[in-house]
Amino acid sequence: MGRLNRDVYVAVFLLLFSGVMFWASFDIREPDYGVLAPSVWPRVILTFFTILTLIYLVQSLRRGPDDPDANAGEPSTIGGWVSYWRNPIICFVLFGGYLAVLPYLGMLISGVLFVFFLLTALGGWSPRQLSLHAAVAVISVGGMWSLFTYGLNVLLPSGELTGI
Amino acid sequence: MILENVADAFGHILHIKTIILMFVGVAGGLIAGAIPGFTIAMAVVLTLPFTFSMPPEQGLATMVSVLVGGLSGGLMAGILTGIPGTPSSVATTFDGFPMARKGKPGLALGLGVWSSFFGGMISAVLLVTLAPQLARVGLEFQPWDYFMLVMFALTITASLAGKDIVKGLIAGALGLLVRTVGEDEAVGMARFDFGSEILLSGFDFIAVLIGLFAFSQLLNDVRDPKSARTSLSEKGTIKARIEHIEALKVIFKNWVVIIRSALIGTFTGILPGAGGSVANILAYDQAKKASKKPEKFGTGTPEGIMAPESSNNAVEGGALITMMALGIPGDVTAAVMLGALLIHDVVPSPTFISEQPVLAYSIFIAFFLATCIMLLLQSGMLRVFVLVTRVRMYVLAGVILGFCGIGVFALNNVDHDLWTLLWFGILGFLMRHFGFPLAPMILGVVLGNIAELNLARAMAIDTDLTHFLTRPWSLFFLIIALFSAAFPWFQAQRSKKKWTLFYLPVACFAMSVPLFMMGGIPRPVIACVVVAGGVWVLYKRWKSGWALDAYDGHEIKEG
Repeated sequence: MGRLNRDVYVAVFLLLFSGVMFWASFDIREPDYGVLAPSVWPRVILTFFTILTLIYLVQSLRRGPDDPDANAGEPSTIGGWVSYWRNPIICFVLFGGYLAVLPYLGMLISGVLFVFFLLTALGGWSPRQLSLHAAVAVISVGGMWSLFTYGLNVLLPSGELTGI
Repeated sequence: MILENVADAFGHILHIKTIILMFVGVAGGLIAGAIPGFTIAMAVVLTLPFTFSMPPEQGLATMVSVLVGGLSGGLMAGILTGIPGTPSSVATTFDGFPMARKGKPGLALGLGVWSSFFGGMISAVLLVTLAPQLARVGLEFQPWDYFMLVMFALTITASLAGKDIVKGLIAGALGLLVRTVGEDEAVGMARFDFGSEILLSGFDFIAVLIGLFAFSQLLNDVRDPKSARTSLSEKGTIKARIEHIEALKVIFKNWVVIIRSALIGTFTGILPGAGGSVANILAYDQAKKASKKPEKFGTGTPEGIMAPESSNNAVEGGALITMMALGIPGDVTAAVMLGALLIHDVVPSPTFISEQPVLAYSIFIAFFLATCIMLLLQSGMLRVFVLVTRVRMYVLAGVILGFCGIGVFALNNVDHDLWTLLWFGILGFLMRHFGFPLAPMILGVVLGNIAELNLARAMAIDTDLTHFLTRPWSLFFLIIALFSAAFPWFQAQRSKKKWTLFYLPVACFAMSVPLFMMGGIPRPVIACVVVAGGVWVLYKRWKSGWALDAYDGHEIKEG
């Protein structure tokens, strides 16, 4: 990280983001009717957002480098970073996978698989744990699916491959 | 007419299905509140998809029940394990856990349960009496005033929700910005769609709320692989039976603590942004200051349990007052309740109570009834709590993530809400990691449309921007927004810089200006009192030779 703290990087990212959004705000069509043009409110917000981000950037630059004790435990290498954030990464990846297979397997099966794989990835895969995770996944997702489908009459998506 | 509406509301709430749902809601709230890391807001957010297909009265009664249950659930974990179930019960552990360790867990639980009950009841009475009065004041608001009220709500939330107000304000602005994506409501033009049909339809704000709050919280809870595999019951002894009679005797002896704390809780709840996490500490602090034996606090004194529990249950009554009377949520949970009303096409505003009296009275009645149900269920739920605390954190998180998927899809029956959940889950997780408070962003998402619509209405009436400064209510909200934005600097510099000595008097003088402008008799009288308060503070400072006094503050945490 050198002599900069992580807030500086966040502030720079936010400034870039506000730049992109400002640029995109010029694509908003201006109708001939109405007093308040549709682009005004977003631009007002973006102006404040940019000013606040600049203040944040200045504050961060003046603060100097990160205090190593303040972020104790957080790794500095990529391998260490992946291992530190292992569980949230697993959750995001599995949830992304769940959404990807949802149209093919349907809400019930993909939901059961998601919960089963998530529990196994987070909790371990001894034979006892595998059977426990399978039971928890089937009962929890199955129960919730039944409640929504039959109790609340909500049509949950069925899979192209499974039909459920 | 009022009696007719009340009778109608009773008819809705006392329906057998509603009563059953309320019992389930309170029980669910008690369990959710008892599990550290599972906040009340998360429980209420996750209840929302279930209420979707219910009539509004039934859905809101269920959500109120979860809320009331959640507020009381935190005390079980706090007293029996020393780990507060929710940030609202942090102060309960200061004396609750020591009392339990001294061999009186039953009395500690009894004090917590009954204090919660009385706190909830007092705030329910204030809700019923104050909300219609405040709504009458709200009827005076024009679009300029309303717009400024939203800005004030966002500013004060940003200043109270985290240590860094700039980050809080950035989060609030981001929330407002998120709400602008898609077709604008006034003229239907596409904004920030980047050619994508999904973005053109905008983000469903409930999916955004669940992603930002629940999804990111769950990921935080399982971040550490070791603690994700542990269960709560391994960290403490859980064997107790609630001692009701003994607790009631102690409470009746110290009724002043209950009433004072309930008032602190209610008025903290009325203030946008300051939730139970602030109220329980404030009430504990006041109880300690007022006690004849302050040195006993922290060792297992009954007042140390009664004060935070009475106040944290009173908070939601206060938050509901502002939500029902003005349409401005007092905290994240009230923001979700507001979302629930919007789902049922009910827009909370000062006319809400007069236009939707049955629904308003249903909420009042549900709040009373849920508080009574909470009392009935606490003893029984203790056993369930023991069972739940044996479950590993990763199992709870995994199951709830699975439920998030089904629940969010059920909102609109479209796939892209699930992607919204994922992206905002990632965003919420990153924001938590980088120290951005989520409460202002959530309020920004909920209030974004209200702010824009009122700005558009104001511009449609008159394009003169000076109305924001010349209309008394608008000026009043602008002034308190500015002073609330400066509050964190005042707090940080207090007892260090001379200018902080003038902060309060200047705030009083500035606030009196719009009050004088309002005319009539009561408001100028209030303005005089406010000015007199400012003068008195100045006089005190002058008498002490402009000395900087020491300040013993408390850190305010996000609820």
